[in-house]
Amino acid sequence: MHAHLFIPCLVEDCHPEAAVAMAAVLEHLNVEVRHPSGQTCCGQLAYKTGDLPNARRLAARYLDVFSAPGPVVCPSGSCVKMVHTYPELFAPGTPEHARARDLAARTFEFCAFVLTLPGADSLGARLNVRACYHGSCQMGEGAEAPRTLLRAVQGLTLLEAERPDRCCGFGGVFSLQFSAVSEALADDKCREILAREPDVLVSAEPSCLMNISGRLARLGHPLPALHVAQVLAAALGKETPPWK
Amino acid sequence: MEVTTSQFRAQSEKACRDMNLRAVLDHTTRYFQAKRQASLDAFDHRDEHFARARAARLNALARLPELLEELEKNATAAGVTVHWAADAAEARDIITGIAKEENAKVIVKGKSMVTEEIALNPALEAAGAEVWETDLGEFIVQLAGEPPSHIIAPAVHKSRADVATLFAEKLNLHGQSIPELTLLARRALREKFLAADMGITGANMAVAETGSVILVENEGNIRMSTTCPRVHVALMSLEKVAATMQDAADILRVLPRSATGQKMSSYVSVLTGPRHEGETDGAERMHLVILDNGRSRIMADPVLREALACVRCGACLNVCPVYQTIGGHAYGWIYSGPIGSLLSSMLLPPEHTRDLPYGCTLCGACKRTCPLSIDHPKLLLALRAAGNTANALGAAHALLARHPLAYRFAVGTARAVDPKLDLLPRLPGLPGTAAFAASRRPPELKASFTSRHGRLKNAAKKERS
Repeated sequence: MHAHLFIPCLVEDCHPEAAVAMAAVLEHLNVEVRHPSGQTCCGQLAYKTGDLPNARRLAARYLDVFSAPGPVVCPSGSCVKMVHTYPELFAPGTPEHARARDLAARTFEFCAFVLTLPGADSLGARLNVRACYHGSCQMGEGAEAPRTLLRAVQGLTLLEAERPDRCCGFGGVFSLQFSAVSEALADDKCREILAREPDVLVSAEPSCLMNISGRLARLGHPLPALHVAQVLAAALGKETPPWK
Repeated sequence: MEVTTSQFRAQSEKACRDMNLRAVLDHTTRYFQAKRQASLDAFDHRDEHFARARAARLNALARLPELLEELEKNATAAGVTVHWAADAAEARDIITGIAKEENAKVIVKGKSMVTEEIALNPALEAAGAEVWETDLGEFIVQLAGEPPSHIIAPAVHKSRADVATLFAEKLNLHGQSIPELTLLARRALREKFLAADMGITGANMAVAETGSVILVENEGNIRMSTTCPRVHVALMSLEKVAATMQDAADILRVLPRSATGQKMSSYVSVLTGPRHEGETDGAERMHLVILDNGRSRIMADPVLREALACVRCGACLNVCPVYQTIGGHAYGWIYSGPIGSLLSSMLLPPEHTRDLPYGCTLCGACKRTCPLSIDHPKLLLALRAAGNTANALGAAHALLARHPLAYRFAVGTARAVDPKLDLLPRLPGLPGTAAFAASRRPPELKASFTSRHGRLKNAAKKERS
């Protein structure tokens, strides 16, 4: 089988290791990965700032970018959620609406997709690390998938912060417009993570990783911030553990 | 109260730096969450009950005009004088008019958010009446000259020590422990109940099929406000109608559990008209004021109308990370938290509420907690879209994102010039980035995935050949 890689803008340029690892894990599970060209942004920023005309334009672009049939896999819960919102942006009955529904139905968050693949339950992954998992509030119904994958890694100690699913305070433009409140929430999150004494911070949401690891660095307690895919790739021997 | 929603951002920044407030909020919101969770854990068939409550509320909204007419007919038949108020000024005029007509010198009030919404107390005081809030929390904030900071716990921002100081200053009553302070307040308030000419309450619900007003509380003060004085005025916002007593029961099954974690509140009063012939208690005369104040306008919006399903349990405040950090007052009006941002944005002039829909990380804790499954984030996004206050950052990003070559060129240039994004805080037209970069180490621009992936593919091809 094949899958199209949907690479969020933040991952493409700031956290490319997550996408490399995602491709490696998928290939390990005998998925042929394809990387459609022309990817920029799924429209999430426009949508969340109330700019529906631009959100619609960017969504229409992505209907073209991912027009080839087959599953679309993305290492970000919030970008997947955006694509799942595409049908709301087009009037029912229009060709765009039908295409948006089709794309939404075949777009998957990486961890949820991996769990549907044959062989996912016997990966044989092994990695000795204390990993604190941050469950992003953007994961929706797929909130358990990353935990399931991490629990299956032998040697990995899965830790969770006191309030594991509480927002880390990023919220996109929120972090710019309400910077003090955003920082206070990030501080709560950092304190609760550090209390578990992890070796690494792990999440399935790149924007949370950027927010939390950025704050940890400023607080003087930096932690390697890894996408679940990077943990799996390292545990499968596909990648050198990036924190070593 | 003065409406300061336009200062929401500045007020929230200030509030989150108040570490005493943060500690009180942390304690109380955790307490409410734990109580709610324990009660839900012991609630059999809870999803079914939540669905029934939601159906009851949505049914009421769908049939609103018809149900309000039925309510008026049945309440009138039960001996209630029904009034209609289009806006806050009309409602104040109606209620101060009743107070004058009844020559009411002392007025007791049961806790009611909608009377706060119409700023009733100052109007009554201007008309010469003495007005006493009788809910303990409301009594505390009235003494402090503050608005409530939580829908169901108005003085949630005050510690026990704050209250002891306040009672000593304002009432010359001295106590330290919570039972002592409560007893002092009770003694002070009992005198007011006995002296009162008129009692004013809100309404948690009004039942169309019977014309009854339903009031839910734990202290008994609301019931006393309806039974001690000779006149009782209930003020309801028009969406609070329930079609039948069965619907009201379905809502009551989830309201106290979501609010305080109780199976049922200590007092549930069902008032069907004033004291009837042969009855031993109840007011001699009862008025019901039905307030619109912008709600008909909200009802016309197919997305936003869902906010009117709210039963004011306050659960969304307790789970909201932003509310937990800034409390209620920062929101600038009486309604706070996720539902407050929605209600204030809909009820107040748009130019005063531009920032409210943005004071949210869209984490969705409110939606997951709401007993009516109101989709607060979706509604806040609809308000953002309606306000259409597109920012420079978003517009520039969207323009580039539509043109992949220009986008790659822009990122490539940035990567060459400033890979660690050191210049980010100094870019003009991006307010907030300086604060963000001071607070978080910004991400670096690295060799892109596209270039890495291309290299890997080429290497794999070479290996094969």
